[in-house]
Amino acid sequence: MSTQGVMQGVTMAYLKTIGIVNNGDNGRGFANPHDVVVSRDGRIFVLNRCDPARATAIRIGICNLDEEYLGEFGNGFGEGDGQFGLPVAMALDSQERLYVTDEHLHRISIFDTSGTFLGKWGTMGSGDGQMDGPAGIAIDADDNVYVADQNNHRIQKFTKDGQYVSQWGEKGAGNGQFNMPWGLCAADGHVYVADWRNDRIQKFTGDGAFVTSFGSSGDGDGQFSRPSGVAVDADGNIYVADWGNERVQVLGPDGSFQQLLRGQATLSKWAEEFFAVNPDEKETREMSDLTPPLPPHLETPYLISSQIEPYFWGPASVTVDADNRLYVAETNRHRLQIYQRK
Amino acid sequence: MSNQDFALLAHLMRRAGFGATRDELEAYAAQGYTATVDELLNPGDPEVMPDDIIRRYHVDQSELRQLDGAGANWLYRMITTKCPLEEKIALFWHGLFATGYSKLNQARALLNQIDMFRNHGLGRFDNLLVELSKDPAMLLWLDNTDNHNGAINENYGRELLELFSMGIGNYTEDDIKECSRAFTGWTLGNAEYMAVRASKDSIWPYSRIAWHFQFRDWDHDDGEKTFLGETGNFNGEDIIGIIARQQATARFVCTRLFQFFAADEVDGDSKQVIEAMMQSYFDSGYEIRAVLRTLFLSDYFTSEEARYARVKGPVELLVGAIRQAGSYRSPTLGVHQLAYQGFFMGQGLLQPPSVEGWHEGMEWIDSGSLVERVNFVAQELSSLDKPGVRAIIDRLAGENGGTLTPGQLVDQCLDLLGPVAVEDDTRTALVDFAAAGGGALNLSGHQPGDDAEQRVSNVLRVIASTREYQLA
Repeated sequence: MSTQGVMQGVTMAYLKTIGIVNNGDNGRGFANPHDVVVSRDGRIFVLNRCDPARATAIRIGICNLDEEYLGEFGNGFGEGDGQFGLPVAMALDSQERLYVTDEHLHRISIFDTSGTFLGKWGTMGSGDGQMDGPAGIAIDADDNVYVADQNNHRIQKFTKDGQYVSQWGEKGAGNGQFNMPWGLCAADGHVYVADWRNDRIQKFTGDGAFVTSFGSSGDGDGQFSRPSGVAVDADGNIYVADWGNERVQVLGPDGSFQQLLRGQATLSKWAEEFFAVNPDEKETREMSDLTPPLPPHLETPYLISSQIEPYFWGPASVTVDADNRLYVAETNRHRLQIYQRK
Repeated sequence: MSNQDFALLAHLMRRAGFGATRDELEAYAAQGYTATVDELLNPGDPEVMPDDIIRRYHVDQSELRQLDGAGANWLYRMITTKCPLEEKIALFWHGLFATGYSKLNQARALLNQIDMFRNHGLGRFDNLLVELSKDPAMLLWLDNTDNHNGAINENYGRELLELFSMGIGNYTEDDIKECSRAFTGWTLGNAEYMAVRASKDSIWPYSRIAWHFQFRDWDHDDGEKTFLGETGNFNGEDIIGIIARQQATARFVCTRLFQFFAADEVDGDSKQVIEAMMQSYFDSGYEIRAVLRTLFLSDYFTSEEARYARVKGPVELLVGAIRQAGSYRSPTLGVHQLAYQGFFMGQGLLQPPSVEGWHEGMEWIDSGSLVERVNFVAQELSSLDKPGVRAIIDRLAGENGGTLTPGQLVDQCLDLLGPVAVEDDTRTALVDFAAAGGGALNLSGHQPGDDAEQRVSNVLRVIASTREYQLA
């Protein structure tokens, strides 16, 4: 595996960490954050996936870069309007309406950014417009909505109001085929798909014509293990949440490897406040080596990340904002690591 | 293949696994009993539900912050494995080297320990004890993190001898002290911080931090020690080497294996089998695999005497019913409830009641746990939408043109659920129950959920409540 921080063209520098685990109650903190979107006014919306056993913690939290917790919405686990089963991903349309996929309820819910429920669509199935485990979602400049229809192994295209437009893909490993696609990104007239179980990123036109594919299975530079998220900045640079390798890769517009990020979280403001009132933990933490050498049987990326707190653990999604900041949502660490493009 | 052969293989699979469906039994029967024993003892690819699929769907099983997700994670493996003895031996060692969540608050470390049991549980016993002594969950569970050069904590040393290897009466208090000295410096990385977090059940700021072994040379007592009559500058490995070659150790380990895999009670006949297992222990260089092979191929184990000589443990019962019903084969919402179900029956995975593990045999059964056991199995086996139940109905429909008398219906269901051999009065009661649903059952042209299928479902439900189904 490559060393962190090998750079060629694009350079991402660590900026800060936001977050703290929220132990199942609502309020400040995150519960298995799965995705992030940033509104034009700089508010950061965090999708707390959590799990049905901790039902009230399933929600969308709002904060800003200064780590102020601004509120939350979503009514926990359930099938009612505004509730979630297993939410996966979010996207904003041109009017900043927030779309949320739900792989358990097989539907898309729409909210405004104040949290008001606006509508929903979707039923389980494999017919046109039906879904089986909708995962990633992306909305292009014309408000076309693309959904990774995970267990139908296809991408579906809808209008912003949920009217079915078209679809492409089927189960397989060839060009234009998918195996449980997860993250999506719509940028510059193209749709990028994190083709999860094929360990690659595929690029299509907005009509589903195959353009190219990046990556193969492995842990080398430019290789992936179960990529879950993809983002593209204004210059076409591609950011991939390399979920199974517990890392993020930065690629150039042509898919060339640029930089590897393994994670380097520091204490968030909320974490510092926790330690200020828990001196016993602070004291023993400060005498600890938080990046220790590990015995060989624990050296898989997942097990390393379970042991080494600053590293990414469960980097489910990547998001780039208008100021070229990269947000990495870490499901297992309840935090966002934020990087700034230089 | 005779019914007796099926019955013997079903017996083996209840003990070395979690039971078997008829399709599985037919595959085992095609290769024969001895080949099946050898396959079980030499696990290949278990083809369990893939970890990436589980972790994508169940974020709680990816993070493992809580006990319920961790228990469910292990259950998925038991339910889907093609190498059931790998999980069964891990369950055995989990009961013997009982380590619990309540003190550790660290599910990842517990599952890492279970993985260690999978990897070493059929191998050399001395190697297993070394791995156990380096296991972070065990180190904190029995306070070896507080066992220091010049200030020993005897907890691990005492239990290593009493509960894990030799049994009380085979060593002295001085042996315990010398043993403990040998394990000074065996601790986990960042032990002080991890101990504070464990004691406070702290998940802050960024969830659990998993554990790893660390040897602190500066905290290890390297002085001369006398242990079980031998003297030297022993370290932990040396102590385990001495333990492994004791007759008492062989007897202890083989007896516990016998009770878990063969019969709850050790009587006159079974003592001979235990002697043979002990001989295999020494002949093989302490290989658990060899000891179990001797047991599974013994006249005792293959005789009628050993059948139904154990009460199914709750996890055995639960996993066996699920495997028979064919449910939970893919990620399933609410699977963490299965972990709770084990607790309700008296066996919460990763949370044994104490370092002594669970009290097994008839102690599994009380009025509360029995109701839970019967209700759970009845629910699984009577659900007509479960693939395993549908397979049973399809087989019944293929018998005698789909027409079955009440007696045939009961006998066929008992056969396909095991075979399960029941007492005569049990069979009579089952036939009476089946007859009360109408005369002969006609499954020709059956449709999912129709009256004919419902009658089968009812019979399966009642079989689940029989005494015999609750036994292994």
